[in-house]
Amino acid sequence: ILDDPDLKDIDPTVLKHCHAAAATCILEAGKHKADISAISTCLEDCKLDKERIEQFCTEYQVFKTHRELVTVVSFSIGRSPLHITDVSWRLEYQIKNNQLHKTYQPSYLVTLNVENSDSGSHPDVSFSCTMEQLQDLVGKLKDAAKSLERATQM
Amino acid sequence: KLNIDVDTIQHGVEGLAYLLTESSKLMISEIDFQDSIHVLGFSDELNTSLLQLYLDNRKEIRSILGELAPRLPSYHSLEWRLDVQLASRSLRQQIKPAVTMKLHLNQNEDQTAQVLQTDPATLLHLIQQLEQALGEMKTNHCRRIVRNMK
Repeated sequence: ILDDPDLKDIDPTVLKHCHAAAATCILEAGKHKADISAISTCLEDCKLDKERIEQFCTEYQVFKTHRELVTVVSFSIGRSPLHITDVSWRLEYQIKNNQLHKTYQPSYLVTLNVENSDSGSHPDVSFSCTMEQLQDLVGKLKDAAKSLERATQM
Repeated sequence: KLNIDVDTIQHGVEGLAYLLTESSKLMISEIDFQDSIHVLGFSDELNTSLLQLYLDNRKEIRSILGELAPRLPSYHSLEWRLDVQLASRSLRQQIKPAVTMKLHLNQNEDQTAQVLQTDPATLLHLIQQLEQALGEMKTNHCRRIVRNMK
């Protein structure tokens, strides 16, 4: 915008303000999924003249086609607890350790890959478990999945 | 009461403790135990008592020694809850399902709880992966190893 020859006579600060104001307006409209009449009413309240309102609404219509992309981005912004993205597991059979020989114990090592909504990385959550414990965990996850399925059918 | 000096008793107790922990650690058989202590030249009565002491306490000693091994936090339990996000500061009128979980882990006597969240697709992926993990124990490969290691 700053390089546009048509606008070079206008003070750059004012230009920036206008740009920011327009962008905010569009984002807010998108956030609330406002329709054209709602936007017009709002702009009327701000004492904008009819011609300008019509122009803005026309541009907004154009923007609406790109709305999907903005919605997707807005969808993912926000705080949430650590988000699990993937899981890795390892099955091992312990034979001995320096404290105890002949242990003969299978065990699973499970690592949950985790993402933080803020910084994007976080040390993964790792834990060991026996076969029974893993069965318990999987059972509980399956219960959650079944509940989800039932909820979506309601 | 025993009329022996403190040092001797201390050495005696330490020796006994060492004998029992080493024997339990290695899980030696009765015969091997008897052969080992025979070298010490004690009376038969004493040897029998020692053997009985070993057999009686072996299991408990092994479970205590098991606690000393290096360990990662271990699974304790999992609580879960279904959430649907309806709106946020950046976007209104959403429908965003999520599963929120509280994973309880044990680490050296402490219990920690971690709150985690996942979306439905990842949940199904987790279930599939972990079921595969469970299936591994039942494969011929694992069965063969478990059989042959004993």
